[in-house]
Amino acid sequence: MSSHDATVAIYALIALVGLVLEVMGRTGRTEVPPLGTVLTRIMHTRSGRIGVMAGWMWIGLHYFAK
Amino acid sequence: MPVPPGTMGTMSTGSGRPDEARAREGDETRHATLLRGVRNPVIVILILAGIFDGLAGNPVHAILLIVVALVLASDVDLPVQVEGGTDVAVEPEDSHSLVALVIAVVYAVAVGGFERYSWPGTVAVIVPGVVGLLMAFRAARIPGPEPRPIQHRGAVAWASLFIALGLWELTNLLLQPDLATGSYAHPTLSTLLDPILAMHTGRSALLFVWLVLGWYLVKR
Repeated sequence: MSSHDATVAIYALIALVGLVLEVMGRTGRTEVPPLGTVLTRIMHTRSGRIGVMAGWMWIGLHYFAK
Repeated sequence: MPVPPGTMGTMSTGSGRPDEARAREGDETRHATLLRGVRNPVIVILILAGIFDGLAGNPVHAILLIVVALVLASDVDLPVQVEGGTDVAVEPEDSHSLVALVIAVVYAVAVGGFERYSWPGTVAVIVPGVVGLLMAFRAARIPGPEPRPIQHRGAVAWASLFIALGLWELTNLLLQPDLATGSYAHPTLSTLLDPILAMHTGRSALLFVWLVLGWYLVKR
């Protein structure tokens, strides 16, 4: 396995873990909440809301803008 | 009974003393606001992100992040804004969702036609970004019931995942020849997405996803 493949595999593993956490959260049988619930909680505060929106804006700038 | 030095300024007797007391109280309030702002992790993260983005050669990103941090720091103690006796509405009406979806598609297709890192593309991303931020600033009080608290294990699980992602991204970034040159052997997410973002359809698709994500967050 090349370095490239290993790097992509680890990204895929992280994404898979995220997917598993989301599925676990949606069943409601564990202490792990869905990501949407986490975001709602974070964004209930003013600074959390602005911080998350700033992060979203930064993603757009990073991939598309100067 | 002798009065300790420095206490007279807080009294309202004598000409000029009340002004001095008010001025000192104003200074103390500003200092307290600044201190609370510095202690706010969101502000600290935004400033650090802005500094490192600037060092990486992205002045526009750096300026925007630092401006948001400074505005948030100065704004952090403002009272809750209430319009007409009710909370500022954050969640748009459901009937607007379809219109927003159509606008997002048209916008993504049009803006996807701009070259990456061009000024038209930059402006086209900054505009919805700033609109989203202004909506976040405007929503001083979040409507609806207090969301249920997150259990400790749940918070640790999600935080661990995003920290792992960040560390892996940082590892690959540092394994590049330099910060501005991507590596095939150690690709960052940006490097992996480059082939997709090189195409008009790819740019439009990811722009659409970005816009929908923003809409989803605004509705939180």
